[in-house]
Amino acid sequence: MRMPPFELHTPDSLDGALSLAGDLQQSNREFDWVAGGTDLLPNYKWHLNSKPHVISLASVPELSELSETHIGAMVRLQDLADSEAVHPLIAKVSSMIASVMIRRSGTVGGNICLDTRCFWFNQSEEWRESIEWCYKCDCGTGADCRVIPNQNTQCVATYQADLAPVLMCLGATIHLAGPSQRRSMPLTEFFELDGITRNALAPGELVTHLTLPDDVSEWRGDYQKLRQRETWDFPEAGVAVLWKSRSDGSPSDLRVATTGLESIPGFHSAEAIATLTSWNGGSSVDELAEAVRKAVKPVLNTWYPPSYRRKMVKVLTKRASSGLLEV
Amino acid sequence: MVQFRLPMLPAPDEVPWSALVNGNEVSLRIEGNAILLDVLRDKAGSLGTKRGCDMGTCGCCSVLIDGVPRLSCLTLAQEVSGCGITTIEGLADGHHLHPIQKTFTECGGSQCGFCSPGFLVVISALLEENPAPSDTEIKDAIEGNLCRCTGYQQIVDSVRVASEILASGDNVEDSTTAKSDPHPSYGGN
Amino acid sequence: MSEDKNRVEGYRQQSGKLPFSRPGSGGSRKTSEPRDEDKIASIRGNGGHKHDDVVTGSAVGRPTALIDGRWKVTGQAQYGDDVRLPGELVGRIVRSKHHYARVLSIDVSAAIKLPGVVAVATGQDASGRFGVLPVTKDEHAMAQEKVRHVGDLIACVAAIDEATAREAVRLVEVEYEELEAVHDMRQGLEDSEEPIHDRGKYHIGASNVQKRVFQEFGDIEGMSANAVVSHNSNWLFAGANHGFTEPHAVVANWDPSGRLTLYTPQQVPHYVHRALADVLDIPMHQINVHRTFVGGGFGGKSDPFPHEMCAAILSRKTGSPVRINFDREEVFWVNRGRHPSRIGMNLHADSKGRLCGIETDALIDGGAFASFGHVTTYYNGVLHTAPYEIGAFHYTGARVWTNKPASGAMRGHGAVNSRCAVEVGMDDIAEQLNVDPITLRLANLLPPHSATITGFRVTSIGMRECLERVRQASGWDDKFRKLPDGHGIGIGCGFFISGSGLPIHWEPNKFPHATVHLKIDMDGGVTVHTGAAEIGQGSDTVIAQSVAEVLGLPLDMIRIRSRETDTSPVDLGSYSSRVTFMNANAAISAAMEIRQELLEAAAAATDVPVERLVIGDRRIYRKDDPAIGVSYLEALHKAQEDKGALVSSGAYRTPPMGRVHKGAGAGIAPAYSFSAYIAEVKVDIETGQTKVLKVWAAHDCGKALNPLSVKGQIIGSCHMGLGQVLSEEMKYGRNGHLINPDLLDYKIPTIHEMPEIVPIIVESNDSEGPFGAKEAGEGPLLPILPAVCNAVYDAIGIRTSELPITPDRVHRMVEARCKQEGVAPLDLSSPELHHSELQGVLEARASEHASRDAARTTDSAPSDYNNGALFGFDPEIPADEQDERWVVSVTPSSDYMESPRLAGSAWKHTERRHGGDS
Repeated sequence: MRMPPFELHTPDSLDGALSLAGDLQQSNREFDWVAGGTDLLPNYKWHLNSKPHVISLASVPELSELSETHIGAMVRLQDLADSEAVHPLIAKVSSMIASVMIRRSGTVGGNICLDTRCFWFNQSEEWRESIEWCYKCDCGTGADCRVIPNQNTQCVATYQADLAPVLMCLGATIHLAGPSQRRSMPLTEFFELDGITRNALAPGELVTHLTLPDDVSEWRGDYQKLRQRETWDFPEAGVAVLWKSRSDGSPSDLRVATTGLESIPGFHSAEAIATLTSWNGGSSVDELAEAVRKAVKPVLNTWYPPSYRRKMVKVLTKRASSGLLEV
Repeated sequence: MVQFRLPMLPAPDEVPWSALVNGNEVSLRIEGNAILLDVLRDKAGSLGTKRGCDMGTCGCCSVLIDGVPRLSCLTLAQEVSGCGITTIEGLADGHHLHPIQKTFTECGGSQCGFCSPGFLVVISALLEENPAPSDTEIKDAIEGNLCRCTGYQQIVDSVRVASEILASGDNVEDSTTAKSDPHPSYGGN
Repeated sequence: MSEDKNRVEGYRQQSGKLPFSRPGSGGSRKTSEPRDEDKIASIRGNGGHKHDDVVTGSAVGRPTALIDGRWKVTGQAQYGDDVRLPGELVGRIVRSKHHYARVLSIDVSAAIKLPGVVAVATGQDASGRFGVLPVTKDEHAMAQEKVRHVGDLIACVAAIDEATAREAVRLVEVEYEELEAVHDMRQGLEDSEEPIHDRGKYHIGASNVQKRVFQEFGDIEGMSANAVVSHNSNWLFAGANHGFTEPHAVVANWDPSGRLTLYTPQQVPHYVHRALADVLDIPMHQINVHRTFVGGGFGGKSDPFPHEMCAAILSRKTGSPVRINFDREEVFWVNRGRHPSRIGMNLHADSKGRLCGIETDALIDGGAFASFGHVTTYYNGVLHTAPYEIGAFHYTGARVWTNKPASGAMRGHGAVNSRCAVEVGMDDIAEQLNVDPITLRLANLLPPHSATITGFRVTSIGMRECLERVRQASGWDDKFRKLPDGHGIGIGCGFFISGSGLPIHWEPNKFPHATVHLKIDMDGGVTVHTGAAEIGQGSDTVIAQSVAEVLGLPLDMIRIRSRETDTSPVDLGSYSSRVTFMNANAAISAAMEIRQELLEAAAAATDVPVERLVIGDRRIYRKDDPAIGVSYLEALHKAQEDKGALVSSGAYRTPPMGRVHKGAGAGIAPAYSFSAYIAEVKVDIETGQTKVLKVWAAHDCGKALNPLSVKGQIIGSCHMGLGQVLSEEMKYGRNGHLINPDLLDYKIPTIHEMPEIVPIIVESNDSEGPFGAKEAGEGPLLPILPAVCNAVYDAIGIRTSELPITPDRVHRMVEARCKQEGVAPLDLSSPELHHSELQGVLEARASEHASRDAARTTDSAPSDYNNGALFGFDPEIPADEQDERWVVSVTPSSDYMESPRLAGSAWKHTERRHGGDS
């Protein structure tokens, strides 16, 4: 047992979960949500920012609905990969996440809210003590960032989840619930710098589901993932390119998003619009790829060096766009 | 000295826990934060379920939860209270091995054997769902399991042969049947 | 047979109750199987083997399931952490958080006060030194004065449960004085204010050089002078970890009689047995080392380990069993993996396409302890000249201590990296000579029964057949330099020891390498006592097969007892690929002794002379009339009359061999394995990702006693080697921290990275191997690395000299080439081959040598053949005795020291005892 002590709560309804969260909040008792556990539990075993209370969503039935336009937060990634109801690219991306064993536990909500990663951070407690901790888990020491020293104002840990880029390109809306309110926002607005803040979730809030607009089936595209091994590995870079086509095959709309490169996924609307407005076939794709490469700034905290990851963004963007050139 | 590491004690309160482990009703008290792997190994007597990495990257700890392969090292025990759990110890029918257990030994699927329990429960679930998987389906099913000895090839061979046994409907022989007679009569030449 | 069986004589026999039933009879398969003459013929191979007479056709040569397999597939196999004794305590280790520091104080008071903590131990509890090699004992159970790497042991605790033990670890307060750490192996060559260890009068200057080797063989002066082409490369190999799935675990228990039993997944129980006695200061007979099932070893479980000492110390202090189980991260702290290495490799070839010289300089990073490093330093040199006949060999090697987890022995020990470098060099030489690289190799092979340039006595050699078979199976001639861009094919060879000729702890002429005991009692089952460690490679099975083969018994009648040092003869365990060769030989000897007793008993029972009896399936019978004979059990009981159980002991020791220069013992072996692999790859030139598509893997294991296991070893070796070439590396970040001590970022190939492997077994039928067998556990790893590197060159024209070839590295090389040639990646051309005239010369020579080798294989007493004959010397006399330009030297000249190579610069220091300051 490597787990630090915590009290596990297992509510059996969403309301129950939220009121429990409210109670814990009111009494100033810190807690985490646990969905599939494939991200949180290893982090807990390594004593990474663990809390004295954990609320499990495993028994909350409301969060598992799945249809073309509604994806519950507790939908297991493997179920998403196997689903014929969802957009095929969502299923494909889901099937590329980690390993089949991880996907059977891991959930959509957990993937969207994946904690940021860094090789100075994702280590055991003893290991981190040997580097005198880091900014993301300073253990009360006020430790500096180990990736970019001499700045303890920003965490540059990397967001390495696969689902977000495609869902952002498909125009997904994310729905949140907390003890006192429910709210929704475009997924593109959900993520917030830095590697510690990560997203818009307020204390006590959770993701209930994502919805997709009615035109979801009109989008085509691809997701390209860079990784060392074809299972287990997080994306070292991921690029989703999605478009709607005119009858002549040229794109009428175009969206591009990236992951695995910075502390939050990137939604590259300016680059996509520029490409769309000056669409010229192959050379436009090259320009888009170069623009996306320029737009991302990876740092040295994952398996591949950042210079390589950045160069590969260009290759991945081109490859993800290859369908655009098939007329 | 200032201590920055997280205290491991006091342990959280114990809660009642029960499950149908390999068909046997098991009722225990576990710590609230307990991980299924620890409960299985330390309390429920399933030492066949192995700990290789403790973070989901080796698959040695795989068990079936209500028939579905799951990583017991990344499962909170409380979340599966009341479920049916099948571990490696539950694959054989008494002394009749599951076909995949038999072919694992005969086709070289197991060398050091430490990863075998994980592979075997995962493959048993695959064969349950898909008795005649293609090579690609086999590979996709066991991509979450790491083997350092075999290079996987003889594991895939084992699955293929097990699938043939399943198709034939033959029962795997009882391992307690009599061994060779050291006093045989002349059998001709 | 003429006695009156009904005559009653004395009180011992009671009339009316005779005859006694035959104890042990009954069971399945009531009739004996006829002898399988085809099987017998195939085991005997080309005939003339010392074991031909004892072949019965019953077990050897058949694909055989591991005899302990069913324990593993049912979850019943007990590995280290599965040993749970009543009243056990859980032990945890307090580890250093600094790379290098003096431990000023250890305050355990808070830890010991914690309820549930039973004991805390520190270095004060055990000051005895240990280490796997007697010449370099530099380890302690826990820090004595200094800690030498992050994760080094400082103290240990025993508590009632794991959480309490972890909390106690947290409460141990350690005060350190940090010392300046050495991270770069090159820095280890320099003088240091505080060398990581002090070897007293043997210390080399004030450096961190732990071991240095200088060797020259052959015509050193001539190698550059005679060369028409040369290959020069400087390699950087990352460190690799064994990555076995079972983390280390150990249980120690002092029983009520005061004896210690240590349950541990060890490859070499005997070494930990010795080390425990040293550290605990008790005699060896007070200790029983119980080898549990071993969840993968690959060399990483062959040292005696400090955590094993800690468990024993804690158990002694507490009076309870103590179990210590590692987290995966701790496995990386104890490490003993493949050395990070910098290898300079120069090859020279002359106008006739002969290898007139190999110059190798290997600097290897030992990490914080010596481990097997003394041997590794030699192996990096001496194991890569064969199978080639060469004109000169210049080797400089040095192993340095650094403040990293210790390197040690890992599958292919010391031979893997330099083999990769030399085989890639061969590819480049072939390229420069415009000849086919397989032809180049075939025209430069040593023949069977020859001596290498370093003086190794090589017996059987299946190298030529390996090369020819993979060439044919892969369709090489249609593919090499002909595949489309981005696709490539490459060849690599290997050569490895089949057991080390020198036992570490004793003189080989005084004590055997392996001893096996047999015991057969009335039940007829055969109990085999051996200390060979079953680690999943199938050692129990191969020994059972060997015994079954000699006695004509089915495997289900053989039971192996190989677990406990109390009952097993002393054995050097499972490393250096020695088990099949040495233990099966010993087992065969032991079985032959009992076989003789059974034959004599059968002769007495049947009145047929021994010479006319044969052993078949559970029966001994007349050769010319198989119906006349006795069952095995009848013969056994006859043999048991008046003495009870039959027992026998068999031993194996190597013949005298090798030369006499300093270091000549390193690398000598009673036989050597050979292998040749061809890999086909696809390289994504834009991303640098290499996908291995298919591998044809031919390995000469002498005789495949268990072809299923041999294939399993070949495929598994490919997997491990592919890991090292493609993705595995122990990555050290800024400040020297190991940044990937886990199985997510230590990237072992998954099933999706595995290509189809076509294992091809080549049987050269070694004259001294058991039934002709040699090793198959380590040698098969060697060729895959260079085969892939050479295939990548064929695919994209990039010659790597850095492993692993992760995509970022390949991409960097692609970019460099694009910049140099001024083209885009997709426009890069891949290499071409237009044969030079030399191709024909080499083909003719290869063909001539093929006939020579075939003749020497069947010759019952082949003449001596020393390396050098290819260069015109009399093969029967070592070339250095014929020509003064050919030298054997083990110390550098002052000329050399004017511009030493990297590892060679280790010789700039004077050993303290020679420097007048000892």
